[in-house]
Amino acid sequence: MIEGSPVALRRRSTELGLVVMAVLITGVAYTLSALGRDSNIPANLGPFLGVIFALLLVAHFATRRLARGADGVLLPLAILLNGIGYVMIARLDAKRLAGLQATWTLVGVGAYIATLIAVRRVNDLRRYQWTFFTIGAGLLLLPFVPGVGVLKGGARIWVSLGPIGFQPGEIAKLCLALFFAGYLTENRELIAAGTWRVGPFNLPEPRHLFPILAAWSVSVVVMIGQRDLGSSLLFFTLFVILLWVATEKASYLVLGTVLFATAAYIAFRTFSHVQDRVDIWLDPWSRYEDKGYQIIQGLFAFGSGGIAGTGLGVGSPGKVPAAHNDFIFAAIGEELGLFGATAVLLAFILMIGAGFRAAMRADRPFEKLLATGLTTILGVQAFIIIAGVVRVLPLTGVTLPFVSYGGSSLVANYVLLALLMRVSDSTARRLGELPEEVTLEQRRAAKKFAKAQAQAGAEATVVAERGRGGGS
Amino acid sequence: MNKQIRRLAAGLLVCYAILFVQLNVLQVGKDRELRADVRNTREAVKEFNQPRGPMITADGVVIAQSQPSNDGFDYQRSYPTGDLFANVTGYYSYAYGATQLEKTQNGVLNGSDIRQQLGGLPNIFSGKSDNSGSVELTMRADMQELARTLLAEREGSIVMLDPRDGAVIAMYSWPSYDPNDVAVHDSTTTRDVIDFLNTLPEKPLLANAYQERYMPGSTFKVITSTVALENGVVTPETPFAVESSYLPPQTTDPIENYGGTTCGGTFLEVFTRSCNTPFARLAIELGAERMVEGADRFGLNEAVPFDLPRPAASRFGTVEEFTDNLPLLAIRGFGQNEAALTPLHMAMVAASVANGGVMMKPHVVDATFDHDGRLLDRTEPEVYRTPMSPQTAATLTSLMVNVVNNGTARCCMTLENGVQAAAKTGTAQLNSAGQPERSHAWIMAFAPAEAPRLAVAVMLKGVNDEISAGTGGVLAGPLAKTMLDFGLAAVPA
Repeated sequence: MIEGSPVALRRRSTELGLVVMAVLITGVAYTLSALGRDSNIPANLGPFLGVIFALLLVAHFATRRLARGADGVLLPLAILLNGIGYVMIARLDAKRLAGLQATWTLVGVGAYIATLIAVRRVNDLRRYQWTFFTIGAGLLLLPFVPGVGVLKGGARIWVSLGPIGFQPGEIAKLCLALFFAGYLTENRELIAAGTWRVGPFNLPEPRHLFPILAAWSVSVVVMIGQRDLGSSLLFFTLFVILLWVATEKASYLVLGTVLFATAAYIAFRTFSHVQDRVDIWLDPWSRYEDKGYQIIQGLFAFGSGGIAGTGLGVGSPGKVPAAHNDFIFAAIGEELGLFGATAVLLAFILMIGAGFRAAMRADRPFEKLLATGLTTILGVQAFIIIAGVVRVLPLTGVTLPFVSYGGSSLVANYVLLALLMRVSDSTARRLGELPEEVTLEQRRAAKKFAKAQAQAGAEATVVAERGRGGGS
Repeated sequence: MNKQIRRLAAGLLVCYAILFVQLNVLQVGKDRELRADVRNTREAVKEFNQPRGPMITADGVVIAQSQPSNDGFDYQRSYPTGDLFANVTGYYSYAYGATQLEKTQNGVLNGSDIRQQLGGLPNIFSGKSDNSGSVELTMRADMQELARTLLAEREGSIVMLDPRDGAVIAMYSWPSYDPNDVAVHDSTTTRDVIDFLNTLPEKPLLANAYQERYMPGSTFKVITSTVALENGVVTPETPFAVESSYLPPQTTDPIENYGGTTCGGTFLEVFTRSCNTPFARLAIELGAERMVEGADRFGLNEAVPFDLPRPAASRFGTVEEFTDNLPLLAIRGFGQNEAALTPLHMAMVAASVANGGVMMKPHVVDATFDHDGRLLDRTEPEVYRTPMSPQTAATLTSLMVNVVNNGTARCCMTLENGVQAAAKTGTAQLNSAGQPERSHAWIMAFAPAEAPRLAVAVMLKGVNDEISAGTGGVLAGPLAKTMLDFGLAAVPA
């Protein structure tokens, strides 16, 4: 299938091996978890393993077909994280959430394949940057629409359409990454030129600064309007980092940090919920009875886990509120110990590494910036929530990518993965590591041509026969 | 742009390194602290889902056990004898943790002792993971039951020891409490019960027999006599003046005998009749240093070594305390004022006389066993102190025999089958002059006098004017007699 490209063949073989390993780890973990819980091997273990194995093989073979030159470790790592998350979710709520998460995994893998099919050339997405901006901004504002937006846990980040509820912010972050990458590809030189002098700083013309301020406002709106500090931090980090990478000017990093710090400080002084988060972070112990309960139970989970963990199904991770969601890392820390938690950290580090490698290999600015942005989203989001759970930063609720329960998050992250794979694949093709893909149109044209050729050949034969006959 | 991306990657790597460091802090550095936090009930939940071994008395009665439960936990701890051993077993509660043996023997009972873990290894694959061990006591349920019956809902304590090895045979104080009420899994109920028990002035949660001190009264004269005999200050024949009062140095306030009676004669006679002034004189003659040193040799002024938690330290006083206050030394010389002993310590004093002057370490745990009945540990008898020579012990025994035959315990210490007991009574006067009389009634005794097997201390707390006119012998004596009579028949020699 991958004739004529040893590099692509190697990447895909690696991927297959790692996918099989990730599936095996998930299967063993699932079995152990069930054994730990009630000393019984689940009756549906065979079919369950068969189905997820089939599903993930489909993802792998789709990659072979659609992005065969792409990096070989991204997909297995995502599957491993997804698998560990599923095991923990099934262990916490086998009745309801496990089934839902399995369904969402199916949808996520579908979205992954669909994205690979739909986006054949990354550069095509550049044309739609303002569309993505509009969709992204619209999605962010959706929770404010009366009758659609839902207030959950103090944050206005949910949208409910009939029976389906989702967090538009998860999709919005992809749209905004696409927009930033496109916008900065076009304007990075103008912005970097910085012809407007303000004090010691060389700033770009105000009209080029507009999108920066727009993004800053988006972060502030999200922080204040939706009370979603985690996403706010994520958006702003994403934007500042892309600006810095695109312009190669560290001053934007400084400027961005100052802007965010200012906004954060004002919010801290003005809004009680921001102040609460900081107070709880500084001293959760005196607030154990109410607001510090979750974070302290999380710390207890890590302490009780120790180095090797209590073992799957044997701990009490359910004691931590939202253990299946924001605090799933605490559940992993309790039952799998320092070893398991470190494994999850390493999986993220490897994914981040693979993402940045794709970004650095990419030779087109748009692809470079897009890969950087997507990887930043993944790495920073995982960092924000883990840091909150282990009390390195104030807790801001975002999901742990691929691991936490949640449909919107899982689907958005599989789309993110597909885009990264696409960037990686395109680069490989341009670097000549495998022959340029023949598009559907080209294939159709070739078929037509061949048919025409064949027809022409046949006609020529007939003519020749006739001629010969005529000659006899 | 690659330079920036590389730096960005490095920056994120540093962020993740910080997370890894913090994970180590939580899971390796502070794990014990986080696990031990009372608000972290994970360990408790785990423990309550584990079988926990029984505690069994020397006469084979199960006094603590785990029974299958289906209230969200797999096991419920129960105490079949109710309040009888509450102060020994303690309770094993979800909300308030464990006390007494439930706490100190936790490792054996839940099977986390390393030897039990290793012994249980072969079972790890068969799914039979019950590792719980058992604890066997030196105490006897029949003697404990008798002690409870004899106290008959009067505040007080009875402690019985084997003087030869320090094994506690009975140790009961009334009032006690039912640990079954505390060991329920519902935290609110446990808290309500504990709160209620804490409001009671009798302190039932405290093991009064060894965690509370009481003024010893004349029983303390055994200690003063020991110091005097050991220092060669007296012999049984030493004469003492016949007097009704004695004026110690540094005061104008004379010391009187009980009821202001005239009392005197040889040392044997004043010991037998329990005169006060001779012992006040002896304390002054011996001086603060020798008295304190002698009391310390009995283990006073420090907590006795015991295999139950937090024993109270009996108290005599310090040299500094007495140097400028000799009247205090005189008064404490016959057991009044603030001298204070735990009933357990009083039994140990009797036991050391009975054991030829050697005081053994008291203990309630005889042995521990793993799940398959293999012995883990057996308590070996250990010498705690040697407060007197065998000669002094022999002399004191003869003095105490005389108390039973001719003295303050003549009323009620004649044992069955002609067994000779030795005893010393005491009445600790709690009221000051002019107030209604209120006293603790004491007796310490051992038997048989020629080859002692059992030592006992009985203390009836002075809570009203019931124990006033009477001396310890009349009230506490019959209890000690019954304990010795039954004990000599029931406890194997």
